[in-house]
Amino acid sequence: MEEAVDISVDFAGIRLANPVFTASGTCGYADELADFTDVNALGGFITKSITLKPKKGNATPRIVETDSGMLNAIGWANIGLDKFIEEKLPIIEKMSAAVFVNVAGESIDEYAAVAEHLAGEAAIAGFELNISCPNVAKGGITFGTDAVQVTEITSAVKKAAGEKILMVKLSPNVTDISVIARAAVEAGADALSLVNTFTAMVIDIETGKPVLANKTGGLSGPAIKPIAVYLVNKVYNEVAKNRGIPILGSGGIRTASDAVEFIIAGATAVAVGTANFIEPGCAAKIVEGIKKYCVRKKITNIKELTGSLGIG
Amino acid sequence: MAKNHSAANRGPFNAVISANKQIGQRFYRLSLGFESAGAKAFAKLKPGQFAQLDLADTPLPPSKDIPEDLVDAARRKILLRRPFSFSDVINKDRKTLVDILYRVVGPATLRMTTLSAGDSVNIIGPLGNGFWVPRGKKQALLVTGGMGAGPLLHLAKVLTADHHGIEAIAFAGAKTEKELPFEGQLDEISQELGFSLAEFARYGVESLVATDDGSAGFAGPVTDCFSEWLGRAGLAGKDMIIYSCGPEQMLAKVAEIAEKRNIDCQLSMERMMACGIGICQSCAVECKVNGSSETVYKMCCEDGPVFDAKEIVFSS
Ligand SMILES: Cc1cc2nc3c(=O)[nH]c(=O)nc-3n(C[C@H](O)[C@H](O)[C@H](O)COP(=O)(O)OP(=O)(O)OC[C@H]3O[C@@H](n4cnc5c(N)ncnc54)[C@H](O)[C@@H]3O)c2cc1C
Ligand SMILES: Cc1cc2nc3c(=O)[nH]c(=O)nc-3n(C[C@H](O)[C@H](O)[C@H](O)COP(=O)(O)O)c2cc1C
Ligand code: FES
Repeated sequence: MEEAVDISVDFAGIRLANPVFTASGTCGYADELADFTDVNALGGFITKSITLKPKKGNATPRIVETDSGMLNAIGWANIGLDKFIEEKLPIIEKMSAAVFVNVAGESIDEYAAVAEHLAGEAAIAGFELNISCPNVAKGGITFGTDAVQVTEITSAVKKAAGEKILMVKLSPNVTDISVIARAAVEAGADALSLVNTFTAMVIDIETGKPVLANKTGGLSGPAIKPIAVYLVNKVYNEVAKNRGIPILGSGGIRTASDAVEFIIAGATAVAVGTANFIEPGCAAKIVEGIKKYCVRKKITNIKELTGSLGIG
Repeated sequence: MAKNHSAANRGPFNAVISANKQIGQRFYRLSLGFESAGAKAFAKLKPGQFAQLDLADTPLPPSKDIPEDLVDAARRKILLRRPFSFSDVINKDRKTLVDILYRVVGPATLRMTTLSAGDSVNIIGPLGNGFWVPRGKKQALLVTGGMGAGPLLHLAKVLTADHHGIEAIAFAGAKTEKELPFEGQLDEISQELGFSLAEFARYGVESLVATDDGSAGFAGPVTDCFSEWLGRAGLAGKDMIIYSCGPEQMLAKVAEIAEKRNIDCQLSMERMMACGIGICQSCAVECKVNGSSETVYKMCCEDGPVFDAKEIVFSS
């Protein structure tokens, strides 16, 4: 007989049915993937970045494919807070996954305002603070690469977020990611999400110009996975473990094996991004795959796996 | 704007290849068949709709068959699906057969050439809106450039079958004769009668050919050939409709001609697409907002790929 496996996880005080999320910007605002997959099979869901006012985003080309990856420079194109509340929240209320709203803005006040407006919504589990977007002129990564600013923005949004979980999404485009992670946690972050995309460029050698209208974009997909696994392990060891802070690991996850790697490295949960574009049902498949892995390895509770990296 | 969550099943489906015929130096026609749910979904495919093909696991051709200019590109391990529209749909014995006309331009389309009968390919679709036919039109003018011919061949078929009051005429352009994505030209008598291309002629649709280098038909851009023809046209602008698909520069020119002559015009646009299903926001098309100088970005995959020419802001 098959042993029962418990893959539910405690994530900053809430219970998730399983440790698999879909990542911001790759799954819409609510149930946009529902035509292709069972969105209720997910443990967590993160919305596209929401700003106070709607944003048009960057000129095209906004994406370009690279070896086992892609660059994007969407530029926070989104419907804005009001329309999100009016059109998307009613759908989110019906979703069983824990929903996190990804919050973005050009100023600390804008970030705080978005969080404050949504802090009272029962349908929302928490916020993911996007201080790591490499594709906008103001905001985003400019907040996420300087520890002093990380402290400031995290504490401001923490206040605005009330009882909701505050997860801070870290950029890998820094000298030492642990310095930023520590600043976020000490300023009140309940969870850490890493990594966002790596700033990158593709040049068209016929024209001698960058392919993307924005010149640079963020690299995502399988190409970044080993670096992301390393960074998750580093932040787990240096910041998260002792403070009991959960990590949402992401970067190139496409299969259950990829997900398990992140969990062994120290992630409590994982987020699937780019892979949703190719295989919209892959997050649900990963949930099943993680269960099978646990059965095969005789793991009864996935907790045993988190940060279980063997050394030496 | 709540246009997602359509009840329509868009897959992913597995389609089985029935043929993959080379029809020119770099041109192929891929024929694929769907059964059960896939057949049902694609049976009602509208001309101009498209689908996303997963070609990542399809092998490359042997290196001797890779054209020199694509040797470097062929090394790229592909990740994303690729968008293609369709040149024909046939419903037969509960199966749906579809054709894709494609041109080999990079790693994914190189891989596509190795698909052969019996292989399967994973497809998300049908996607996008497709062309629509407004009431009261008497003449449909189909202007194609290069690979843009596919969806307009499908449209020619549908116009002939379902819209008897409309006469369709095709204008097909390419750089040179070799780059016309059609099989078999017709004999001289047919050509004199105006039926240059067999693939349009089989739907009873007249066609004019233009090549930039004059190697076949009109010498010059297809938009010049079209413009000249319009100068001689008998009908008023309001009785006509233009449908066009091809390189963006050509579409911009077609839009200009349509505006000048006050003819309704629908354009099938292309953008780099990551998802094809309205989620990633990568395929933005800049559009005018009625009665204001502002513009918005619409999504080529979901709001298009067919747009009213009047909407589009072309980058100069
Ligand atoms: C709605 C739509 C319908 C299409 N229908 C057809 C068709 O019927 N027949 C056909 O031959 N081609 C069609 N295309 C273009 C086709 O998708 C590209 O030729 C293909 O993706 C190239 O892939 P590759 O790896 O071979 O080349 P790559 O090296 O990836 O690209 C070569 C060139 O093709 C274009 N391209 C690449 N990827 C895309 C993409 N995702 N979307 C748009 N353009 C891209 C770019 O201009 C690029 O420079 C269509 C595109 C769209 C958006
Ligand atoms: C097209 C695209 C759009 C994205 N949009 C956002 C966004 O709005 N906010 C954000 O925090 N991250 C965004 N991301 C980053 C992803 O959430 C994720 O962190 C990153 O892509 C790494 O994971 P992956 O390799 O699995 O895609 C986006 C990524 C892609 C590819
Ligand atoms: S391709 Fe993703 S939104 Fe159009």
